[in-house]
Amino acid sequence: MNINTDIKSIICLSLFTIIITVSTAAESMDVNHNWQSETAFILPQKRYEIGLFQPLRYGYSESVELSIHPIIALVMPNISLKKSLATRTDFIISSRHAMYYPTPLLRLISKEGIGGMISPEFEIPHMISLYNEIILTKPLTDSHYFTIKSGLNLAVKSSKLDERTTIDLPLIFPRLAVFYRGSGLRGGCDLTGKIFQNWKYLVDADIFYFFNTDEKFAMEHKGMILWNTSENFQISIGYKLTFCEYPFGNQWHLFPLMDIQWSRQLKIR
Amino acid sequence: MILQIVKMRLPVSVLIIICSLIFSCEPLVTKFEDIEKAEFYKAKNISSVPNDVDTVVFMTWNIRFGAGRIRWFGDCCGDRVILTENEVYENLEGLVQKIDEIKPDIIFLQEVDVESKRTGYIDQVQWLLDHTHFNYGAYASMWQAQVVPSDGLGRVNTGNAVLSRWKIIDAERIQLPLREDQDALTQYFYLRRNILKTEIEVPGLSEFCAINIHMSAFCTDDTKERQIIRLLEELNNLKDAAFVLGGDFNLIPPGSDSVDFCDEDKCPDESFHGANDDPYHKEGSYFGDEITLMQALYDEYKPALPLLKYQNNQDYYFSHSTDEAGFWDRKLDYLFSNYEWIDNSDSTHQEARSLSDHAPVTAKWRIPK
Repeated sequence: MNINTDIKSIICLSLFTIIITVSTAAESMDVNHNWQSETAFILPQKRYEIGLFQPLRYGYSESVELSIHPIIALVMPNISLKKSLATRTDFIISSRHAMYYPTPLLRLISKEGIGGMISPEFEIPHMISLYNEIILTKPLTDSHYFTIKSGLNLAVKSSKLDERTTIDLPLIFPRLAVFYRGSGLRGGCDLTGKIFQNWKYLVDADIFYFFNTDEKFAMEHKGMILWNTSENFQISIGYKLTFCEYPFGNQWHLFPLMDIQWSRQLKIR
Repeated sequence: MILQIVKMRLPVSVLIIICSLIFSCEPLVTKFEDIEKAEFYKAKNISSVPNDVDTVVFMTWNIRFGAGRIRWFGDCCGDRVILTENEVYENLEGLVQKIDEIKPDIIFLQEVDVESKRTGYIDQVQWLLDHTHFNYGAYASMWQAQVVPSDGLGRVNTGNAVLSRWKIIDAERIQLPLREDQDALTQYFYLRRNILKTEIEVPGLSEFCAINIHMSAFCTDDTKERQIIRLLEELNNLKDAAFVLGGDFNLIPPGSDSVDFCDEDKCPDESFHGANDDPYHKEGSYFGDEITLMQALYDEYKPALPLLKYQNNQDYYFSHSTDEAGFWDRKLDYLFSNYEWIDNSDSTHQEARSLSDHAPVTAKWRIPK
């Protein structure tokens, strides 16, 4: 068999990697509730944040935050909305509603030659993922927060997706599993806090659960150290540990994580 | 602005892939040591074996990962990549039926898939052990990748296996030289051919090795020559131990009438042998420069099928063809030993045309006293 090097194909593969990494990489926090995408806190109004692997997040109002992966949206349209539901001194509750349309991206990587992650012999139908979750954050002290979240993932398809199109890689497999199963549950918890001065930590765990399949369960855990060099710039580094039930058996993977994030506060008129 | 971000992000994503390769618990592609232990297998139910035997029947068979004659994209101008589980089980059952019919004592298998995406994630070594009279197995992968990011191949683990009625007490995977006519990226994801050397408790023998080899097929440099040299080194190291060597050598015997199979193997949109054709020959289909490479084995060891016998009736011993519709057109599969074979016990089972692109080759070996 010949495998020819094709730079466009490598870019396709890289884009795909970006998408997965973007959606799973570091999140962070601040005593002002900036940099806290995975907590129930809403980004302050008119503030936007973006990172190498983070989505563009925007504080639309005092109770609504929007986010989008802008580059990825070219091949996988996506949007997420987080809405504050309740804010009390001892806890904060928000809901998150996200959708994405992976069909163009999957069709892009369904090809012959290098970069072909899915065999071109299969049809990729039109598919949309809808995800809704509730997020509850509880301050443990002035600078430490505990978050739990739980959600339901649903998929809508124009026709059946062949089971042989799975991409058996960590991070990717559990995120595409909903398109084969139709629905799935997700849940998790995060612990964030200040270490000293501008240094912070983040530890989290997320689980994925699917019904009517042998590959029911996946788990991801990460640990991050975050450094806010200023109010508008943050560097983070850490690791991600994954466990997943694949069609061929169970596997653990460990990855390094790194991100650089920028933010800007626009004036409120 | 968007262009700047794209430029900034793409190298980072490539970096992530590289980091993943380096730091991940399970690397994307498994590289192997020059010599390492093979994987051992045992049948679910152990069947009884004779403890007093004079002869042993050996078989070598490239089973084409249980794909039968399905027109797979990589080797026969096909367009199929990922087979269904049912297709694979059906083909495996055909293989088992043939094995049951011949009842070899020890079999050398090439292109056996273990939990590969293209073949329904079936562990074919274990499945074959559990559905035949063999009790023990050893496996050495030649291509093991979490994902091959090409053509949708995905997870691949395929290689050589030795299955035996008697216990396999040791098994080594010996790396063969890699192709050097590929760029680094292709080579990283490409096959790593090997020799699977097993030590088996054959009754009446104090030391016996069954050696399985699957050599490179599509190289355009001197890879096959280097692999033969490596094989001869390994055989020389065995000194007095009795051995049987079997496998798919991807070489035709010296004195073969035809050395050029470009026309037989070419796909509808391909052209070879024309003044402007580049390459001039199809990769893996021209043996003109390699016609003498098997000679050293014929000179130093005992073939199950003597060279003269082959040369006098070549069609009868052909063991490979890329096209199911055509007849077998070349011999690539061999059995050798440093001890005697039973005269005229060899057989090339050309009737098994629908089961693989290789025919099983068998012969009866006399246990040295």
